Amino acid sequence: MRADDKPSPDIQDALNKGLLKRLPLTFLPFVNQQLSQWVFLFPNERQSVERLLRYVASLTSEQSAGLFRDVVQLEEKMGVRQWEFSTTEQSILNSSQLARSPYFQEWRRAVQAVFDAADRHESIAGKAPNRSRNRLVLLNVPRSLPLDRNQLWKRWQGTGRPVALDLGSAQQAHSVLDFLLNGMPQAAGVRGDGLLDEARKRGPGSPADTWVVDAGRSLIDSILAQNADGASTKDGVLLSYGRLDLYRQNFSHEMNTMRKDLADADAVFDRLRKVEVAPWCPPELASAAAVQEFLRSLYLTGNGAVIFGNSFVEWAASEAFRRARPAFLAAQFGVRSKPKPFTSVAVFDNPDQVNPLPAVDDLAGSAVDAQMLALYVWLAANRYEEYQRSTVCVCVAESISEAYIVAPPEFSLPKSIEPLSVDHLGQSLRDWIA
Amino acid sequence: MQEGRCPGAEMGSAFPVEPVPLLHASRRTFLRAAGMLVAGLALPRARANEKVRTTANSGHKIVVAVIGGVRRDETFAPEGLVNIPHLSTDLLPKSLFYSHARNEGVTAHFNAISSILTGNWQRVDDWGKLAPTSPTLFEQYRKGLGVDRSDTWVVASNKALTSLIGASSDSNYGPAYGANVVFPKQLMLQAVADALRGGRTANMADRSKVESELESAMEGSNYEGLGWNVFDAADRLDPRVRSSIQAAIAGFVRGGGPTSGDELTFFMSREVMRKFAPRVLVVVFSDVEAAHFGAYSMHLSGIRTADRLAYQLWQEVEANPDYRGQTTMVILPEFGRDPDGSSTNGFFNHRANVDSTRDTWMMTLGTAVDRPQIVERPIRHVDLCPTLADLLGCRPLSVQGTRLVEFQG
Repeated sequence: MRADDKPSPDIQDALNKGLLKRLPLTFLPFVNQQLSQWVFLFPNERQSVERLLRYVASLTSEQSAGLFRDVVQLEEKMGVRQWEFSTTEQSILNSSQLARSPYFQEWRRAVQAVFDAADRHESIAGKAPNRSRNRLVLLNVPRSLPLDRNQLWKRWQGTGRPVALDLGSAQQAHSVLDFLLNGMPQAAGVRGDGLLDEARKRGPGSPADTWVVDAGRSLIDSILAQNADGASTKDGVLLSYGRLDLYRQNFSHEMNTMRKDLADADAVFDRLRKVEVAPWCPPELASAAAVQEFLRSLYLTGNGAVIFGNSFVEWAASEAFRRARPAFLAAQFGVRSKPKPFTSVAVFDNPDQVNPLPAVDDLAGSAVDAQMLALYVWLAANRYEEYQRSTVCVCVAESISEAYIVAPPEFSLPKSIEPLSVDHLGQSLRDWIA
Repeated sequence: MQEGRCPGAEMGSAFPVEPVPLLHASRRTFLRAAGMLVAGLALPRARANEKVRTTANSGHKIVVAVIGGVRRDETFAPEGLVNIPHLSTDLLPKSLFYSHARNEGVTAHFNAISSILTGNWQRVDDWGKLAPTSPTLFEQYRKGLGVDRSDTWVVASNKALTSLIGASSDSNYGPAYGANVVFPKQLMLQAVADALRGGRTANMADRSKVESELESAMEGSNYEGLGWNVFDAADRLDPRVRSSIQAAIAGFVRGGGPTSGDELTFFMSREVMRKFAPRVLVVVFSDVEAAHFGAYSMHLSGIRTADRLAYQLWQEVEANPDYRGQTTMVILPEFGRDPDGSSTNGFFNHRANVDSTRDTWMMTLGTAVDRPQIVERPIRHVDLCPTLADLLGCRPLSVQGTRLVEFQG
């Protein structure tokens, strides 16, 4: 077992001395699950668990009792000890029981206060991680999706500004995002500097520092085509809805067998938590165990990730921000099919299996979905302190040759007359993350 | 909590910390500005002399249309009006409209609807494994006034409901006084599953053959298999209901219109009204729940469908002699949905403890409306049951909700 397969020695020592006994009952499913899956956690998640445990370990037993007093009192009022409550992992049944309690909201606030205290402690101790590095969130609504220039950016509520783009240079690429990530096509298939090259140059960070999420497959195919082995992970985490067909279909098949009750739901989820997923993964994820588990968790938590490519992009990006805090995330939206008559009542995933009518692209509907979900990706990032200051967000709307840019004052674009060429945009973004 | 994650998280999602509504859509209703109310207020009260006394024998009927989770932003906010042309233009001017109808209980489907139906905030199993713990409107009405089971129906699209929605676990009431409960969409699910098993998926692409597949699913099922509870008979389809289902299927398939679950629910509801003319009918639409899959366009489409079908239900009330002039119809969402930017993934879900999720609206039409008006005072979903029970002439029970004084009975 590698050293990073376990928590730090001081945490292990505290655990061996019974640290978990100080935690309230409702903390145990989360902490135990994180500890048991340590090898699959991203660095940011490990730091978070260690931050909490290190703080509790630093307290006297009286102090830790004080820290958890409100939570424990609420657990007593809720009657948690009388519940069928798993302490080893977070289950649907656990969540359902908590959510139904009239004290649920109070309990959430009390739990939040504990985590806040741990964060404050670390901040005071000067051990808080450096969150000031430049970050980039790059979104693309592809040219096939029709957009209304007058309505498009209203939901962004003036947090940034629209910039007209000249997309001429990107015409030979599959999409603007392909061009920005992989660089200018050169002779013999070689590409010039792209954002992925720049991200790679930043030095040996975690592979989870860069994410590319694709609602289809062409973007990831294009990235992989740049690599000699066609399956390298040097570009970070590469997730393609289309390339994950097998994984997704196996999962949704299992989930569709689920009867409508909590016990069966937990049984199916338990099975899906244990099933071997590596054989279902495309080559680029073959050696990325943490990402394989990330996908398992993503599909188990729903939010349309097994149903629609655009939902997959939004939910994967949101979860990536929450769990891995990448410095650079790029997301490409795409097109879904129209629901088929009659059978769409029953089946959303894999509709071709039950209805031989040809799939028809829903361009207008996909455009509405992508507009909303692109905003959601940015809002998801914005929930975390790391992204609230030094982050540039660029949402490209290819069909109207425009981008919406949310950026701190330090980010500068060339002072040229619009439309801004996509080469200049790419250069500015490379400079930003360099 | 900086990490946005802690124990009790709903299966891997961020722990549900208080969501921050980063986008500040107006929470005010458009109503004062819309001007349309003025026209409504100026109208003489339609059929004022047709006001019906509320006793068990009065013939007063109740139709409740519940339309899943929709936010104010997509409905009665200025930017949402485009999605509800019938509610906002055709029905609002003649309605008693509560701008703020709050769900202060569990914002999950089974609990939300059972709270509406019982007048008490229910905290039972979210998946409908447990019945509501206090008597439903159906039980109060049937036991209190000796009303037949055929007079109380629930027709629902929502897969989160079960037949236990029709009666409580209260030992003084219970299933003996419960409503008939049908889930027409389940027929469709069954037909698709049967066609898949039987290698007949081609039939699902042919409108003429879909009807036979649906009828075949009906013939091959019993109430229990479909999750229904009708006339206490689980082992066979009641002939009184069979013809209604066949008519509903025919209307659904041959109509040439949209083919969503709510459409079938509407056709079934209309057949039940025409065949049984129940005194209490609760219709639950749920196309809007496509939001759970992240398809915002399909969610909006679901809202437009619910708007149209609620209007068509009202048209049926006005056209059907068993209902015309003696019916109060109430339209309300189960709850809202979470705000954009919330840690619970915005419109996808409905579990945040904020106004976007809890604060909805309620529209009343028909005989209980003394005069069109807009009530800005917040009411609660649990207030509806005692209000309707009073309209029906039921003896008041001690519940958490209180009777709404604006309803005239």
